[in-house]
Amino acid sequence: MDIIACIKRVPDTSEADVVKIDPSQKDIEKDRLAFKINDWDEYVLEAAVQLKEKLGGTLTAVTIGPKEWDEVLRRALAMGADSAIRIDQDVSADDPHIVAIILDKVIRRLPYDLVLFGAQSEDFGSGHLGAMVAEILGIPHATLVINLEAEEKKIHVQRELEAGTLQSYTIDLPALLTIHTGINQPRYISMGGIRRAMQKELQVMSLSDLGLSLDALTPMVKLEEMRLPPKGKEAELITGAPEETAGQLAKILKDAGIF
Amino acid sequence: MTLTNFRYGDVIHRCFRCGYCKFPINWMDVNNCPAYARFRMETYSCGGRLWLTRAWLEGEIEWSDHLADILYSCTACKNCEVKCPLSFNIDILNMMIAAKSEMVERGEIPSAAKEFLENIQRQGNPYGTSREKRDEWMEGTGIEAYQGQEYLYYVGCVGSYDTRGQETARLLGKVLQKAGVSFGVLGNDENCDGNEVRNLGEETLFEMLAEDNVAQFQGLGVQKIVTLSPHSYNAMKNDYPGFNGVFDVLHYTQLLQELIRNGGLDVSGGYNAKVTYHDPCFLGRWNEEYDAPRAILRAIPGVQFVEMARNRNGALCCGGGGGNFYLDLLGGSEDSPARRRVREACETGANVLAVACPNCLTMLEDAVKAEGLENKLTVRDISEIVGEACVIK
Amino acid sequence: MDPIYQALVDIVGQEHVSNQPEELFIYSYDLGTTEPHRPDYAVTPRSTEEIQEIVKLANREKVPVVPLGGGLSLAGLAVPFRGGIALDLKRMDSILEVNEKARYAVVECGVSQGQLTSYLERNYPHLTHSEPGAPPTATIAGNVAIHGQGDLAQPYGFNSDMVNGLEIVLPTGEVCKFGSCSIGSGWFTQHPLPDVGLFLGWSGTTGIITKVSIRLFPSKKIRGVGQFVVEDEELVPEIMYKLTHTQMTEDIVAFSQAVPPFASGLQHFTINIAADSEKELEFKQEIIWDDTLGEYIRSGAGGFLGFRSGLQRPQVSKTSDWRKGGGFEYVGSIMPVDTYPECYRRGREISERHDIPYTVLGRCVGTAHAMMFSWTYAFNRADPETVRQAREALHETDDLVLELGGTIWKPGLYGQKLVMERLDPNTLNLMKKIKQMLDPNGIMNPGNWEVS
Repeated sequence: MDIIACIKRVPDTSEADVVKIDPSQKDIEKDRLAFKINDWDEYVLEAAVQLKEKLGGTLTAVTIGPKEWDEVLRRALAMGADSAIRIDQDVSADDPHIVAIILDKVIRRLPYDLVLFGAQSEDFGSGHLGAMVAEILGIPHATLVINLEAEEKKIHVQRELEAGTLQSYTIDLPALLTIHTGINQPRYISMGGIRRAMQKELQVMSLSDLGLSLDALTPMVKLEEMRLPPKGKEAELITGAPEETAGQLAKILKDAGIF
Repeated sequence: MTLTNFRYGDVIHRCFRCGYCKFPINWMDVNNCPAYARFRMETYSCGGRLWLTRAWLEGEIEWSDHLADILYSCTACKNCEVKCPLSFNIDILNMMIAAKSEMVERGEIPSAAKEFLENIQRQGNPYGTSREKRDEWMEGTGIEAYQGQEYLYYVGCVGSYDTRGQETARLLGKVLQKAGVSFGVLGNDENCDGNEVRNLGEETLFEMLAEDNVAQFQGLGVQKIVTLSPHSYNAMKNDYPGFNGVFDVLHYTQLLQELIRNGGLDVSGGYNAKVTYHDPCFLGRWNEEYDAPRAILRAIPGVQFVEMARNRNGALCCGGGGGNFYLDLLGGSEDSPARRRVREACETGANVLAVACPNCLTMLEDAVKAEGLENKLTVRDISEIVGEACVIK
Repeated sequence: MDPIYQALVDIVGQEHVSNQPEELFIYSYDLGTTEPHRPDYAVTPRSTEEIQEIVKLANREKVPVVPLGGGLSLAGLAVPFRGGIALDLKRMDSILEVNEKARYAVVECGVSQGQLTSYLERNYPHLTHSEPGAPPTATIAGNVAIHGQGDLAQPYGFNSDMVNGLEIVLPTGEVCKFGSCSIGSGWFTQHPLPDVGLFLGWSGTTGIITKVSIRLFPSKKIRGVGQFVVEDEELVPEIMYKLTHTQMTEDIVAFSQAVPPFASGLQHFTINIAADSEKELEFKQEIIWDDTLGEYIRSGAGGFLGFRSGLQRPQVSKTSDWRKGGGFEYVGSIMPVDTYPECYRRGREISERHDIPYTVLGRCVGTAHAMMFSWTYAFNRADPETVRQAREALHETDDLVLELGGTIWKPGLYGQKLVMERLDPNTLNLMKKIKQMLDPNGIMNPGNWEVS
């Protein structure tokens, strides 16, 4: 089975107070942030590698971004991807539609039975991209996949909906899936593995290699402004001996009408 | 990997499982292997882990989450190496680390270990807190950045980020200031020392950290290092020379002992308490420094010093080594080594349990709370005790 | 969910029961050459009550129960041949009582030899117990269950002769006490109630020992080891006879081994002597080395190699490292002392035939009433051929023991079969009846001492 995994690199924003909006008000300040692979994409790679280990075939990892984005492809190669392609273009400020058009061009050039995306990204979180690419490619898709079992010509999947409701489908291949966290336990990628992956070839392509030009790519939606949420009321720390603090806490809860 | 290309393939079968590795200072019980003390199944003993590793590499058992938990529950406390009577004992921990390395290479490690290592890759510390916050501990202390002072004061991850660790990091800084020691710190440019990374089997990440740190220290002209944590001390003293990083490395207790002895530090303010001392593994068994912390405590007026039954190379590990202060594979039970240890400290009649390691400090302080011993026993880092004796507010 | 597993969890708690491959692997192995057999569960109980519940469950479900102490018998006595529950008793590790004046200690079944030794050293330095040659992680209860002996065997006999009382969980789950404790008195004597010696020597097939009262003995201020050597093995029995006549030794061991080569073929003695003062020590040394062994020294037949204060307890596990192989097993036997020369010569032959450096040892039991003679065969755990050779040598040695007129000590399955083939048919029949009566479902350590 030939698989294409589309992955991206995101800033580590696990601590809210390190996020600051840059003066353009259309992006966050990135210079002092650490970056990592998109959380959902770790599950994508693990699912892809498990399928490849079980069924054979090829695994190609694809990303669109500047040079630094190679690091997520190195992880994919370390995990067992056979090849990796980076489209050298910063699309981080663009809408998913533009990204989908580019990815469509890349994917069409490659052999594939299955295309995998993360269900969403940690940074913009639109969750559109996979569905858009499937539409453009003209292949069936399923989003929020929590379980999958592949046969030669078809794939059985389960989607996780609200409150853990599960939907089961059997989909003919080729198909596109967006993968949810929890589908597997992504393995650890050792630094040794990443170092060894430096030996593997990483293909870099430009938009023109794909027969595209930036001018021809017009966004469907446009970002107007980004801002941080207004600060809530500060937390109050009650200190002192338990017999005093318990009383204070009870009073606060009572005043708030909780009792 | 198979047994034949395991680096210790010709050694690992030599464990007979006689069980000396479980003993403390004498034969008083079989609970000095922290993982065995916690679980009391033979799988968790040193011999059990070696036999399981061999069976795994031979294909007799499969990898499992449980197997990974068993191997990662080893705290690298070195009790087994010190107590094993057989000649291959020097390789016991190397075998454990090599087995963990194999799991790292396969990507199959406990999820908390994965988090620990990825956090270090990304933010240079196991907590995953931003690198930009590494210097928050020193706010308002007036501690200077390192720029050619006599000592580099290397704080380490626990001292930089853990609330309790930060307190000791600050206090040690103040003690050094008071003694007029010329020192500076790296602040946000400090990176993880890698000691636990090595113990978790991530060899390449450890190499990268060691190489980067050595290059950074050399670039700044560092010659002498004093560390807050015995873990940093161990890596810098014993491992960094393998990366051409030969520095004059001291654990802070060694420096303070010297300062007190030569009159550079006045501890006449005293500290009135009955104090017992818990040997950190990476100062004690790993580096055989048992005397400096005791000498400091004995030099402080008002300290009534008592030993626990297990001391020096027979000390019971707090359970925090091998990354377990974060992985917490040994927690959650009254048999957890830290809880056993604080009960033992209480038995001496001491009201203060002195430690010389921020990992031990957090582990044992949590254990005091879990045991409900707050009214009987307080855990204090030696830097704090010295701080009080030098009348630092 | 497996209902037996769940029931075990209900008894001992989740953390003290496992049916995971890792625990089943570890508890399937003995440290010697016995082939492994996987249990279905590993359980680590903490109380007599928990053990009762486990045994009752095992009866209901007809599941074997295999009790395990230190796991150091090396004869495969705790290998779960028919699966079932591997019952690791080491959490039962309280020293319940030391009665100083009546010189006994009551311990739970998981208390190790070393734990008691260390406890006495710290709290009752003038008392000691008979510490076996096994690693000190061996348990006291396990040792009496197999008629072990220790470093006070010369004056006081087998450790199982030092038992003042027992608490047993019967194979059907009832708790029984034996000795003075059974009538509510202290644990100071096993006799003179009607004797029910159904649990010592039965290798855990008739019940689970949960508490033992073991005799303690005076520990003199100075304890040390003298060394003596002779070339002629024929002299060993008479030397043991003469030494025991002095009644001044604590332990007499004769041994011979191929390593190091210069000592090969010689018979070494270690003779433990204890005294409360230099005067007493000097007196005893004079009687032993001059009056008793002097004639051998003067004739050149023997040599005194010196006396060292302080007990140097042997670390027997070092034997496992002789071939850098991590393994050894020995045949132990209880023999008449006068068979020593033949035991040595024939044992050496067996070793040499199997290409194993020979190691033999005879420890005097009582005033030369018998000796525990052992033949040790090291093997390389990583080399199945050496394991096979050692196993063959062990079986040949089991045959030899009976041929030379001795009894096999703690025999494994092969040795048990040899012994039962020779047992008085009426005795054998009685054993069978006792076993059927005590253990109607045959759950206790099955495979061992099974009369067909």
